[in-house]
Amino acid sequence: MVTIQPKVTVAPFLWRLIRYRPWLYLVDIVAWVSISLSELLPGLLAKFFFDALAGEAPFGLNVWTIVALVGAAALVYIMAIFSGGLVDIRHRFTMSALLRHNLLTTLLKRPGAAALPGAVGEVINTFRDDAETVENTISWTVDQVSIFVFVVAAVGTMVSINPRIALFTLLPLAAIVLTARAASHRIERYREASRTATERVSGAMGEIFGAVQAIQVATAESHVLEHFRKLNAERQRMMVRDSVFERMLDSLYGNIGAVGTGLILLLTASVMRDESFSVGDFALFVYNLGMLTEFMRGFGNFLAHYQQAGVSLNRMVALLQGAPAATLVTHQPLDLDKETGDKETRDKETGDKETREKKIERLRLLAVKGLTYHYAQSKARGEGDGVENAVHGIEDVSFQVTQGSFTVITGRIGAGKTTLLRTLLGLLPKQAGEVCWNGEPVTAPAEFFTPPYSAYTPQAPQLMSAPLKDNLLLGLPVTDGELERALHQAVLENDLATMPDGLATVIGPKGVRLSGGQAQRTAAARMFVRQPALIVVDDLSSALDVNTEQILWDRLFTLTAQGNGHQPACLVVSHRRPALRRADQIILLKEGRVEDVGKLDELLLRSEEMRRLWQGEEGG
Amino acid sequence: MKLPLRQYYGLLATYLAPQRRRALWMAGFLLASIALRLVNPQIMRYFIDAALGGGELNNLLTAAALFLGIAVVGQALAVGATYFSEQVAWTATNALRFDLVAHALKLDLSFHKQHTPGELIERMDGDVNKLSTFFSRFIINILGSVLMMIGVLALLYREDWRVGLALTLFAIGGLYVLLRLREFATPFWEKERQINAEFYGFLGEHLSATEDLRANGATGYVIDRFRVILRKWLPIRLKANLAGYAMWMTNVGVFAVGTMIAFGLGAYLWQISAITLGTVYLIYNYTELLRDPIAQLRFQLVELQQAEAAIKRIETLLATQSRLPEGADGQLPDGPLALDFTQVGFSYADEPDERVLQEICLRLEPGRVLGLLGRTGSGKTTLARLLLRLYDPTSGELRIGNVNPATIPLQRYRQRVGMVTQDVQLFQATVRDNLTFFNPAIPDERILTVLVELGLDQWLRTLPQGLETELAAGGAGLSAGQAQLLAFARIFLTDPGLVILDEASSRLDPATEQLLERAVDKLLHNRTAILIAHRLGTVQRADQILILENGRIVEQGDRIALVANPDSRFAHLLRTGMEEVLV
Repeated sequence: MVTIQPKVTVAPFLWRLIRYRPWLYLVDIVAWVSISLSELLPGLLAKFFFDALAGEAPFGLNVWTIVALVGAAALVYIMAIFSGGLVDIRHRFTMSALLRHNLLTTLLKRPGAAALPGAVGEVINTFRDDAETVENTISWTVDQVSIFVFVVAAVGTMVSINPRIALFTLLPLAAIVLTARAASHRIERYREASRTATERVSGAMGEIFGAVQAIQVATAESHVLEHFRKLNAERQRMMVRDSVFERMLDSLYGNIGAVGTGLILLLTASVMRDESFSVGDFALFVYNLGMLTEFMRGFGNFLAHYQQAGVSLNRMVALLQGAPAATLVTHQPLDLDKETGDKETRDKETGDKETREKKIERLRLLAVKGLTYHYAQSKARGEGDGVENAVHGIEDVSFQVTQGSFTVITGRIGAGKTTLLRTLLGLLPKQAGEVCWNGEPVTAPAEFFTPPYSAYTPQAPQLMSAPLKDNLLLGLPVTDGELERALHQAVLENDLATMPDGLATVIGPKGVRLSGGQAQRTAAARMFVRQPALIVVDDLSSALDVNTEQILWDRLFTLTAQGNGHQPACLVVSHRRPALRRADQIILLKEGRVEDVGKLDELLLRSEEMRRLWQGEEGG
Repeated sequence: MKLPLRQYYGLLATYLAPQRRRALWMAGFLLASIALRLVNPQIMRYFIDAALGGGELNNLLTAAALFLGIAVVGQALAVGATYFSEQVAWTATNALRFDLVAHALKLDLSFHKQHTPGELIERMDGDVNKLSTFFSRFIINILGSVLMMIGVLALLYREDWRVGLALTLFAIGGLYVLLRLREFATPFWEKERQINAEFYGFLGEHLSATEDLRANGATGYVIDRFRVILRKWLPIRLKANLAGYAMWMTNVGVFAVGTMIAFGLGAYLWQISAITLGTVYLIYNYTELLRDPIAQLRFQLVELQQAEAAIKRIETLLATQSRLPEGADGQLPDGPLALDFTQVGFSYADEPDERVLQEICLRLEPGRVLGLLGRTGSGKTTLARLLLRLYDPTSGELRIGNVNPATIPLQRYRQRVGMVTQDVQLFQATVRDNLTFFNPAIPDERILTVLVELGLDQWLRTLPQGLETELAAGGAGLSAGQAQLLAFARIFLTDPGLVILDEASSRLDPATEQLLERAVDKLLHNRTAILIAHRLGTVQRADQILILENGRIVEQGDRIALVANPDSRFAHLLRTGMEEVLV
């Protein structure tokens, strides 16, 4: 992704997210504060225990009662962890679910053929990791509150017992924490270096195995391995440095406990003799010091977390590609608990269904005027410029389609056929031109060109790993009869008979693999079942055998010619002779422009380009 | 819980033996640091007893100082142990990783066809990294924890056998409970992993299908399904993560029991005046010291168990053999090489029924150029791969320079055959390494001469560090034409007797096109060549033409003769434009 986006300010985003479920957040904080306060109990009980042994039991507690209290405190602690876990898991899940929901809805609103700014894998990484980073950051704020409360309580207890000793043991602790903090910049640098070295090793492995044929052909195995050995050695150097330094930091923290304890020993040498500082106090100080060390490690690094969240938010906003950044954190119902409400919320989001259905008007005339779309030239590869004055895309394309007519778009590879369909349907954002439906200009083609107005089968249709029926319907409510007609229309009935579970057969990675032709016809059935006024098909026959293709064309012609006033119009990209022969009009594209429009005979007479294409397409 | 100790031992022996000295250092540091940690509670006991008994202030201060010193030295020793263990671990894993990559590079393409680079990286880096924790932590953590535990328990026995026994039982019981708990949690984690995979699978599929979904009005349906998965996911997530929290909760419970034992026994022994208050503290202190090794052991034993799968996968990989038998001692003649195909057929091992090539008969004299045409999937690439001996024919006979390639040592054979492919594989390395395939023996002058011949010298001058300039990963920043020219340079540096040229099908700018034309001219000079051609211009160079369809030869002959015959497929192709047939 190369798009440069304005940097987002993190705080308002986090705040808006927190406010999505404010009570959950508050309960989360309360639960985690209880957890950290429970961690104080063992120290207090140790103090009571030793004091009781020395005969100074507080509240007249018996030694054995204290032993029982240790168990009771553990139970309280465990309960606190349980409830804290329960709330936190739910809260975290809700936060990232909302982000993912908003990302998905926005991507689905983009022009379909240009929805993603990068490779799918990259986008999925953002869905997974960046949403999780933000989730972590929010949960991290909860931790900070509980740590803060713990520190205040622990230090408070110590000060109340003996302020002088508390001060003298806590001061070096603070100093060490600050030193360690200062060193953490360094560890990040080391971490970065070792990560780079690691990436270079795995990158080299990827390159080596990606080029294994080239390497073997060049008999360069030993040289390549030598290169790999060097990268490995560098990684070792970086990794060792990284972990040794980290261990040093660890020891620094470890020393807080040990040095602190040593200091307590030094300071109490005199006071313990006159018993103004009891063994119990000593036990509590040592325990609290140990816990404080642990807690201090988790505290702070505010900047690092904030920056990480910033990077992730920026990546997610970049994925929105121009939609307002706030879309990312709009409050939307997720219905995590109940199943009801889906339909209503969905209809609200995707435009009001009912009013649409009233307005639906069968197609009389579709007019396309001056439609233009240029692909952004990829400069990096330095191709193209100068050689061809052909358009990279389509330029000034105009034509008309009437009800029940059969229009074929044809042309050589790269002539702009698919681009024309996509731009017309709003799957690519048009750069100029106008599309009119029954004389009315279509302002938002991507919203408009959906069933029942139109439906579309792309050249390489994508099917989901789901039962065949779900793939066909995609949530559309239809009768069995309608479904059967669509299957017949798409010449799928024979294939269906051979499938193990009929319409319930699961297809895709974990189910039956469909052949290329079956996939195309399934996509066609998916289109037919929607009974659109305009059928749009991109190169339907490319994976079909001759017989099936013939039947498919025949049934399509019958459909358009039924003459009951409801016959749909067909707009297909094809170079096949049966289609060209039967077409009411052929739109011949050449290098992104309309070369000619007419019936086959006329075009064969007057266009050299048409004759070439017709010649190339023998048989059929 | 089963631990595959035999496999571990095998690995340890192979990869740790060469670094025995370092390993000894590591063990020394480790032992010393453990010993120091065990000493300190003793000092504390002395301190408490002395303080309560009204001992000399000086003695108390000395004890305190000693405590401080030992603590600091102990930490320093731990850092030293880390250093040695990391060195040992990385040396061992690097050696293993190197062996794996070297092994995989020797395997033939049928192996690489089945395993994507990503999968191999996962195997060789992911799995080996799991072992790296195993190499380094095995001694440091497992051995260290066991020693620490034994030390603590032994010292407790010394105080009172009842305390020793009780806490020994506690340690064993605690470890057992914590290990069992993991078994209880695993199925929940497995479910979470599954739904996680399901969710991202769903996302991936639907994000690749935005075109289909939008144009067929199914976006609402996608959001519905998204919500359904979320709804299914939340309870699974809750259970899985709570199972993780259960670990923490059990930890708290187990160690509370430990504290109760220590307090109970301490109080009892104190009340019958068997021990001092300092000793009660000592028992409490040692019990706390058991926390770390128990937690470590639980964690490490699980890791060790998981390493089993990694070890198995690595062993399988190392056991895989190349399908290409190494040749004996054959030798190719010098200069351009003749080609002879007699009834050659080929199918891939994993799909033996699909004949990729059938009944290929072909004779090409030394120094002649063959133009190879056919649609994608017609068998052109496979034919080239047979010539490179990336595969052996499954039937028929193939002779090159009148020798069966299988009788020639692989490396020696491949040095005489070169190939320029459409997609040029570039490495994230210097320009020189990219040209020489990391061979440092090729002198700069030769590289420069070749670059000048190819007209790349101008490009070289634009590079900030000349040949030393590092190319970005995937060759970013290079145009397709430049990448092609670099591939030509590679071939010129090896000077083979047979070249296969898979011509770039993408359009190039006129200047690069011209450079490429010249490069092809040079390449074909005094070499036998096979041109997998995509454009008419290139086919003009061929002496002979061969058209493949579905793995069979449908037409073959002298180019001029075929052009002259209007009924030939080739002549037809020339008339209609090649595009439709070749892409």
